[in-house]
Amino acid sequence: MPIAYAHFPYLSSILFSCVAGLLIILFIPEDKKDAIKWVSAVCSGVTLLLSAYLFFAYDKTQGGLQFVEKYQWVPSLGISYYNGADGFGLPMLLLTGIVFFTGVLTMWELETRVKEFFALIFLLVSGVFGMFMSMDLFFIFIWFDVSLFPMYLLIAVWGSTRKEYAAMKLTLYLLAGSALVLPAIIYLVVKSGFHTFDLVALMHPGTFTPFQQKFAFILLYIGFGILAGVWPFHTWSPTGHVAAPTAVSMIHAGVLMKIGAFGVLRVGIFLCPEGWQYWAHLMALLAVIGIVYGVFVGLSQTDLKFVIGYSSVSHMGIVGLGLATVTVEGLNGAVFQMFAHGVMTALFFSSVGYIYDRTHTKSIVELGGLSRTMPVASGYLIVAALTGIGVPCLASFWAELTVFISSFKVYPLYGILAVCALVVSALFMLRVVQRTCYGPPKERFAHLEDVSFKLGIPRMILVSVIVIFGLFPDVMLNMIQTASIPFISGLP
Amino acid sequence: MMNWIIFSPEFYFLLVSTVFLCLSMMRRIKPEQLYFTALVLASVGVGVCLACVRLTGDLFSGTYRIDLFSQVFKVMLSMGLFLVVCLCTELEGIAKRHHPEFYFLLSACTLAMMMLVSSVHLLTVYVALELSSYSLYTLVFLRKGRDRGVDAGLKYFLIGASASALMLFGFALLYGSIHVAYLVEILKILPKVLNRPVVIIALILLLTGFFFKLAVFPFHFWAPDVYESAANQVTTYIATASKVAAIAILIRIVALAGDGSAYLVHMLVTLSIVTMTIGNLAAVVQKDFKRLLAYSSVAHAGYVLIGILSMSQAGYSSAIFYALSILMMKFTCFLVLVKVSDDGRNLDIEHLAGLHRRSPILAMALMMALFGLAGIPPTIGFTGKLLIFTAAMQKGYFMLVLIAMINVVISLYYYLLVVRAAYLLEPKEQLPELQVPGSIKVLAGLLIFGMVAGGIFPQYIIELSRTAAMTLM
Repeated sequence: MPIAYAHFPYLSSILFSCVAGLLIILFIPEDKKDAIKWVSAVCSGVTLLLSAYLFFAYDKTQGGLQFVEKYQWVPSLGISYYNGADGFGLPMLLLTGIVFFTGVLTMWELETRVKEFFALIFLLVSGVFGMFMSMDLFFIFIWFDVSLFPMYLLIAVWGSTRKEYAAMKLTLYLLAGSALVLPAIIYLVVKSGFHTFDLVALMHPGTFTPFQQKFAFILLYIGFGILAGVWPFHTWSPTGHVAAPTAVSMIHAGVLMKIGAFGVLRVGIFLCPEGWQYWAHLMALLAVIGIVYGVFVGLSQTDLKFVIGYSSVSHMGIVGLGLATVTVEGLNGAVFQMFAHGVMTALFFSSVGYIYDRTHTKSIVELGGLSRTMPVASGYLIVAALTGIGVPCLASFWAELTVFISSFKVYPLYGILAVCALVVSALFMLRVVQRTCYGPPKERFAHLEDVSFKLGIPRMILVSVIVIFGLFPDVMLNMIQTASIPFISGLP
Repeated sequence: MMNWIIFSPEFYFLLVSTVFLCLSMMRRIKPEQLYFTALVLASVGVGVCLACVRLTGDLFSGTYRIDLFSQVFKVMLSMGLFLVVCLCTELEGIAKRHHPEFYFLLSACTLAMMMLVSSVHLLTVYVALELSSYSLYTLVFLRKGRDRGVDAGLKYFLIGASASALMLFGFALLYGSIHVAYLVEILKILPKVLNRPVVIIALILLLTGFFFKLAVFPFHFWAPDVYESAANQVTTYIATASKVAAIAILIRIVALAGDGSAYLVHMLVTLSIVTMTIGNLAAVVQKDFKRLLAYSSVAHAGYVLIGILSMSQAGYSSAIFYALSILMMKFTCFLVLVKVSDDGRNLDIEHLAGLHRRSPILAMALMMALFGLAGIPPTIGFTGKLLIFTAAMQKGYFMLVLIAMINVVISLYYYLLVVRAAYLLEPKEQLPELQVPGSIKVLAGLLIFGMVAGGIFPQYIIELSRTAAMTLM
């Protein structure tokens, strides 16, 4: 029964185009590879357009939840199909659209088991989209798990470098996370006494006692945090990134890790604000350890994808630090960093994937002088590395800056440590760039083709997004503020 | 004047067993004819049970009750029989001359289980339980070739006989201490006398018989050997229909205790934790697919116990829902197993290698079933677990839920090993594409659809199981 149905269901249309893509692909014969790729490109393009439209159509002066769709699903359990978009969700939807579309384009050269690959990718991404738009705890959990389990096959079938080990490790880690999330969600639903899974109804202040909030928050934080690569639960992430095929690495590091951080925000922080404040110091500590640890371990890696994997741990630490400050700036920075890091790692993995497909090596010792043989490909790599360092005028600069400013106010020591780690990270990123792109060109890579215009399209999209949001950070920050300011001012 | 219409499912299956009993005396009947007879009769049986689902009433001086609870389970049991018969196109595991007896025992066992779920008197419970057990013992013996069927059948029989002896002792103690044998009257008296040790002991002994059926620790030792040694179709029946019946009667008996005594709840909590942990840990190291499924059945018995020990309407209805989900998911696994092992042999997990090429639809069905068993959304297995855990959480068993979730993660490991075999491993020698008949493809497709639909639109089944659970209280 429709409760709010005053407009076109944009959010459901995003999900619908994912599901439609999945079903169409399932019915295309295996050998029509081009048809499968075109269907994937069109359907993912539709999701990108819809999410971009929503991002700009959102009424910032009004704020709050918009584009709401709500239907009773299982009334006897209090489950409703409840979608909505706010200033936290929309950047993530846009990010997912971008990474999904560019990821599909990046895999245009795939030849083995094409049908299954794209079908699984569509399944995964529908979980991701659902997670970012759902406002019902039951559906949040469903989407969360739907986005996890295709990863096993995606990595184990199409991956490289110890793929089966990495796939199994990743799946077990992430499902262990959901093993903590589910009891916490049921605990909150049962303790509330409201008999509903509706997130907005449960957010009502005073629903949970301080003890219940503290107890549930730590479970939710660890459960979702495993997916966000929180130290010390991050070890699945570098091995997983390394083993995964290019598009999966992009979606995985670009979007999937954000699901973890977003889950902490949407479920943990929204429902248990007092628990959040209580555990904030622990969160900050773990985040800073992650930042520093990721940088120093990344410094000693020789595999390009391991380098990015550990830099992801470090960058997701910045997200964690932003969340831990319990301030408006901290939340703004954290969400912006999720977006910026998503686009950046997607670009990183996309360019590394291109290089790996040609040279068949990811070792920075064996590579060298690529800027002579493949100037465009190494150009993309360099832009990604510069974004990772946080060079001004690129998106992640503003995100990191906002987080650092707020953390200096709240946790001066951690702020200093994080900034120092960032300097070291500049060292290690530049070292990677220097080893792979500069130096004497290697003879055996001389004949390799550079990125053609067609294959360059996804990378160009990513670079332009990074630059646009680097030049106009207000577009993003104003959006996030519509959610963060009311939320923080509403805290007890 | 008794209203015999309400007894029609039982009459029908009595008739079916008689038909096969007569057929077993005719020596010249072809296996194909037998198969089609069984298929038609079993499908009509589902229809009969569905038609009778809303009937209510009492029979045999109140020892036999027809209510929504029993009728829902009868539908499930008849579906279980029908699905198992669907797998009997090539009944390679059983000698040709025993085929009529196989169908006879199968339908007799279904009849017995139908009587079991309707029994509300200690004597009828016992008689029905023994009838179903003896059919199953014989079915296990029927395995063709070598002595493996005899070996496992004996083990099954010995453990089963001791469990039923213990149960009978429990009946005697219970009757001796409270002097009633009607479950309805026990329901009135029992909550008041639950503080008496003799009653608790009687109840525990009484439950052993059902624990044996459900393969709950410490009565689970028969499961792996029997699963491995019985013919594939018989194992399918044991893993699906027989489990459903065991869940039903366990719910009925535990519901007698009302809100329950602390002793009883503690015992059930302990058994549940030990059962699921043992089942999952043992399953991790299995090589044989049927043994793996046996241990996973043990683990699932543990999960079901969580719902039952919540001793609330939500708990019982979640257990009913879970019984249906087990029926579908386990059957899908066995469907794949039976079709891959076309000559009736046992199947190692690595023999599933290359299944995704040999038969994409079977591989997909297997994957969905395994993810369902592991409790991953959006499958019916997840919704079942969610209901069970919510019921337990309402009673405040947070630790129990957490332990169960950890178990779920352990179980995911071995389910993934099977998925890996089906999707990643390549067979050592080139194997031809599997010849899967169209009807089986349709059945597999329907099962996939059912498992997903049960996960996404559970509303109707939840309502049904709630109403069914209400009739117990």
